[in-house]
Amino acid sequence: MPNYRCFIPKDALSFDQRQEIALAFTDIHCGSTGAPRSFVSVTFLETPEGQTHEHGQGYYLDGGNRAGRSEEVKQQLLSDLTQAFAKIANVPADDIPGRITENPASWTMEGGFVLPEPGQEGAEWYAAAAAD
Amino acid sequence: MITFNCTVQEGIVPEDLRPRLASELARITTGFVGGNPDEVSVNWIEIPHGFGFRGGRLSTTSAVRGEIPPGLQQETRVELMKSLQDMWMDLTGCTTDELVVSARDRRDN
Repeated sequence: MPNYRCFIPKDALSFDQRQEIALAFTDIHCGSTGAPRSFVSVTFLETPEGQTHEHGQGYYLDGGNRAGRSEEVKQQLLSDLTQAFAKIANVPADDIPGRITENPASWTMEGGFVLPEPGQEGAEWYAAAAAD
Repeated sequence: MITFNCTVQEGIVPEDLRPRLASELARITTGFVGGNPDEVSVNWIEIPHGFGFRGGRLSTTSAVRGEIPPGLQQETRVELMKSLQDMWMDLTGCTTDELVVSARDRRDN
């Protein structure tokens, strides 16, 4: 975690755009939360024309994060991600709905460690994460 | 019902290995939480090359996300995730930094 899934229409984004969005999301998430960069996953899921995905049609940003951050932080994060996506994809931000859902950090093992709760990372965990 | 959604990057986990991985996911998980291994559902999502990133770079990471009956003690949950991780690494040859394993409580809503 975090895991950001970007639902996009088929052939809507080039590789360069996808990579730029992935980098922007990594910068935004780490700038907001202090998480290690290597933990930020961004996946693009294309929907063929005429078909729907689990959130409907068109663009959708579906983020999954560790639980424990304030609603204000979550909303700001989603807003920043949406703005970055809109700018790079050249799509109006209003056309990009999204959400951030949360699960307890203790339900996930990443890099060989059970994830700590937000704010409980500690220097030892950051050092181990950086070594991966 | 126990469900796994396994998201893998194209070319990282061979298709002919997936039945064995699915079988082991079911065997290990029911060994911890009970149930019939034959009733465990394992779904595969393959991300095409160039569509999955981690840390802003192309990803080789597999995500094994399980939904299990709620209420498992945390100590047991950690043992379960560790067992799943060890099995996956053993069969695929991936490293710890190429694998995310979760065992989430199933939401019945």
